[in-house]
Amino acid sequence: MSYVAGKELRIVGFLCNWCSYGGADTAGVGRFKQPTDLRIIRVPCSGRVNPLFVVKALLNGADGVLVSGCHPRDCHYSDGNFYARRRLEMLKRLLPFLGIDERRFHYTWVSASEGARWKNVVTDFTKAIHNLGPLHHKEEKTE
Amino acid sequence: MRVGVFICHCGNNIAGTVDVAKVAEAARMMPGVAFATTYMYTCSEPGQEEIKETIKREKLDRVVVAACSPRMHEVTFRRTVEKAGLNRYFFEMANIREHCSWVGEDKALNTNKAIETIKLAVEKVKQNKPLFPAKFKINKRVLVIGGGVAGMQAALDCADGGLDVVLVEKSSSVGGMMARLDKTFPTVDCSICILGPKMVDVSQHEKINLHAYSEIEEIKGYVGNYQIKIRKKATYVDWSKCTGCGACIEKCPSRNAYDYFNFGVAPARAINIPFPQAIPKKATIDAQFCRQFIKGKCGVCAKFCPVGAINYEMKDEIVTEDVGAIIVASGYGLIDLDKLPEYGGGRYPDVISGIQYERILNASGPTSGHIERPSDHAEPKTIVFVSCAGSRDKSIGIPYCSNFCCMYIAKQAILTKDHIPDSQSYVFYIDIRSPGKGYDEFTRRAQEEYGAKYIRGRVSRIYPKGKKMVVKGADTLLGTQVEIEADLIVLATAVTATNDARTLAEKLHISYDQNGFYVESHPKLRPVETNTSGVFLAGACQGPKDIPASVSQGSAAAAKVLSIFSKDTLESDPQIARVNTNVCVGCRKCIGTCPFGAIEEQQLRDGRIVANVIETVCAGCGICSSTCPCGAIQLQHFTDNQLLAEVNALCLT
Amino acid sequence: MTIEKLKEAARKILPEVDVVIGYRQGFDPLHATPYFMTKPEQVDQLIWNSLCVQNLCSYLPFLKGKVGVIVKGCDSRTIVQYMQEKLIVRENVKVIGVPCLRVISVKKVLAAINQQSVKEVTFEGENIVVKTPEGQKTIPLADVAPRKCVTCQLATPLQYDVLAGEGIQSNKPQDTFEETKEFEKLSLEERRAYWEKEFDRCIRCYACRNACPMCICQDKCIAESRDPHWTSQRANVTEKFMFHMIHGLHLAGRCISCEECERVCPMDIPVAKIKKKISMDLKELFGYEAGMNPDDTPPMYVFKVEEATIEEHEL
Repeated sequence: MSYVAGKELRIVGFLCNWCSYGGADTAGVGRFKQPTDLRIIRVPCSGRVNPLFVVKALLNGADGVLVSGCHPRDCHYSDGNFYARRRLEMLKRLLPFLGIDERRFHYTWVSASEGARWKNVVTDFTKAIHNLGPLHHKEEKTE
Repeated sequence: MRVGVFICHCGNNIAGTVDVAKVAEAARMMPGVAFATTYMYTCSEPGQEEIKETIKREKLDRVVVAACSPRMHEVTFRRTVEKAGLNRYFFEMANIREHCSWVGEDKALNTNKAIETIKLAVEKVKQNKPLFPAKFKINKRVLVIGGGVAGMQAALDCADGGLDVVLVEKSSSVGGMMARLDKTFPTVDCSICILGPKMVDVSQHEKINLHAYSEIEEIKGYVGNYQIKIRKKATYVDWSKCTGCGACIEKCPSRNAYDYFNFGVAPARAINIPFPQAIPKKATIDAQFCRQFIKGKCGVCAKFCPVGAINYEMKDEIVTEDVGAIIVASGYGLIDLDKLPEYGGGRYPDVISGIQYERILNASGPTSGHIERPSDHAEPKTIVFVSCAGSRDKSIGIPYCSNFCCMYIAKQAILTKDHIPDSQSYVFYIDIRSPGKGYDEFTRRAQEEYGAKYIRGRVSRIYPKGKKMVVKGADTLLGTQVEIEADLIVLATAVTATNDARTLAEKLHISYDQNGFYVESHPKLRPVETNTSGVFLAGACQGPKDIPASVSQGSAAAAKVLSIFSKDTLESDPQIARVNTNVCVGCRKCIGTCPFGAIEEQQLRDGRIVANVIETVCAGCGICSSTCPCGAIQLQHFTDNQLLAEVNALCLT
Repeated sequence: MTIEKLKEAARKILPEVDVVIGYRQGFDPLHATPYFMTKPEQVDQLIWNSLCVQNLCSYLPFLKGKVGVIVKGCDSRTIVQYMQEKLIVRENVKVIGVPCLRVISVKKVLAAINQQSVKEVTFEGENIVVKTPEGQKTIPLADVAPRKCVTCQLATPLQYDVLAGEGIQSNKPQDTFEETKEFEKLSLEERRAYWEKEFDRCIRCYACRNACPMCICQDKCIAESRDPHWTSQRANVTEKFMFHMIHGLHLAGRCISCEECERVCPMDIPVAKIKKKISMDLKELFGYEAGMNPDDTPPMYVFKVEEATIEEHEL
């Protein structure tokens, strides 16, 4: 399955069901236009996002990965985003050591009412990834 | 595996910017998809019928509906597929409306995005497993923490609804803050007169078991099956003998005890009954001030007690109660005057808090209802009220409004005029918040009928001048500075969480916000529920609020409890974590990171220690799954393999 | 002499435990090997010198009953980390601490003698003397010590029930993560190319994982599992990279820098570098160093409501 080559890059988003997925829905209800690159995977909580998911995506063809959860203190499950914050910060600092630009991985907090903010996050992140270009060359992905 | 894909036009909402026919064509080519079609409005009755019929006709075993957000209609469609005979977890939704058709501008790009989103959902649904909710028995008894007006209302409603209630109150009498008030706004009803009957009902109700002077020691268990340990603190008076006659209080030689009920307006005796209408009307010794405990020599109360109820050897006692639900009505605290030195709080005796003034106004209070200044007991003629003393102030960490101060200041100004007709009250305010029924009319009355002078501006400085206090402030409507020589200053001190709010919250596994108030499930739609099933909130512990709001929440919390107890068994949500004991290495990392304490150690027959998820407590967040190094504990419906299927669908192909 | 004190300590502890783990001479003069002693006679075979490189604590989580173990300073951090994670019952472990200033890296010695076979090894002062078919070579120990010994602050172990000898000070410079910072000066492409080159040699033998004292999942490891299926067994750089990310991230905040992983790698991949980078970051972020204080909790399993060191990232 390929994204539309030349127009889009592969951007994967992990969104928590209670806040960020709702925020993306709110952006939709408000018809806030966004670039089409992002593909959203729903998780119950940002704490469910094992940093290895981000790594798996980046190593296997994603050009950018976005993780978004509830604002710290507002987690539907109390503590999920506190763990996510620590673990994803650790990952963000590790990625450039391995030669992956840390700007390709972004984690943020968007609440269910922040539709306009979600639009900006998606637009800005997609732009940033397009500026960085594809992470993998086409030939690398075949075996 | 035969996956059916139903792509919704949603009228023009989706079909307008997505080529749904092309999407269906692409879906048919996806591995595992046996059938794909488009439909105008899938969520409609005929739309759902179509899905049911297609499942039967095409022998589908999994279904994907590509339409709006699952937050909208996942529940609807899960029911639909269940009616057609499939397990409801063999269903996934692809959001091609809110996340695609409504936000993308290019039809070709949107169409491709829709196809890929469906591919994600198809790959996920192929990994889904059937899940079945578990049923478990519930203990139809309820614990109410806090005997203030909210707690008492909750207890009474539950008891009247047929439930056994255990009511735990920290101080020696029920009544809470409302029992301390003189009159209540806007009706100027005598507070204890309207509260008293409730207190009597609570103590006499056959279904309410009141533990006064007790605190919660430990909470174990989960909704439907809690084991509560209650610490009954030593009162040093045998309450089964005490008649509340008060002889001990009269004779007690220790007269410098801090009077908690009166917020320290006047000292109390070391042995005390907090107020005349106290229920239970029994004496308690405050060991911190009692000479028998400090010096080892006294025993006066024991000598004079006609029934020999005094017992200096008494120890705290731990009792256990088993309940099925908990209502937290632990109330609020007030900021210490010492934290407001700029207003003279804690420095000058004639600068007092609103609740202290309330006790002075009260006929059963330490001054028998005569308004007198603490410094020289003279009757004040000029009284200055300062609103928002501490509230709405980010610099001291209290950014919120304390809800009822505007109203009680108006009430206290009115009562002051009643007590002292030649007095003049001034109120320094920022805004007047009077949203309730009759509230605005009431604050207006204070100004128009009772002559209270309202000055819109803040106080900058308060200092003594001879026997008076000078209050310097601003009058922003006139654009000038003002200076008032006051006899008494009443600060509307900020409402805070109680000083043990955080500890109690941790025992209950509920969250609190940065101000210490307990967090509700949803600020608009679920104000009395918490994210911990079985624990409900009522009253000011959830946020500052006045009496009618507290009473409403008490009843609301009782209704919630009655509704979960309306069945004999509860069903647990199967989207919870599960441990594969073959893989679990017993490292216990999941146990330490679970916010709900839902995971426990379990010893297998071969002696190995593994993790075990308590089904009824697990909330389904998945922190354990992302913590587990060996993938043994998996959040069902969002397992590693299911999420990896989605990642691989996007990246690997 | 340390070896006499060690033997005495081992003999003393033996009756109280089911086994004492120490070192004895290995398959050639350059190697020591772990030695499981259950009888007093076996204690005679105990050795102690700079060949004793293995971290013997790795066995502890898998042994039932009471165990005695000889630990160097670097190994003692394992005991502390096990205490933090409750992977051992401390009362069931009798720790014989031994003061140590440095060990050798076998790979470095072999490089110094051009990979020849070793006939004899002796220690003279601060040197190791190696006899090969071609002759004899005297090498300063400091030249063939592994990375961890250069900045080691734990000449005396952190945890012990009995110390075989006098406690000694380390007098070595603190670790300032120079190597990590130097590596970060390379360009992004250079770094990527470096790791792809290194990981390409990986043969998924899992020696690094198996030698790691903190990797206790062993055969339940997700790198070898279909359920969950994080990585396949395909022999390409992507899968190898994925394995090393799994290993490194699972050790975040737990790695005690014993560097066993790098020591045992048959392909000479500098796997400890990744863990050092993570350790450096976590020290900066949370002031945390693994294996130092038994009352700590590893940073990835706790949180603070306010994290002073984590700023929200802007796009």
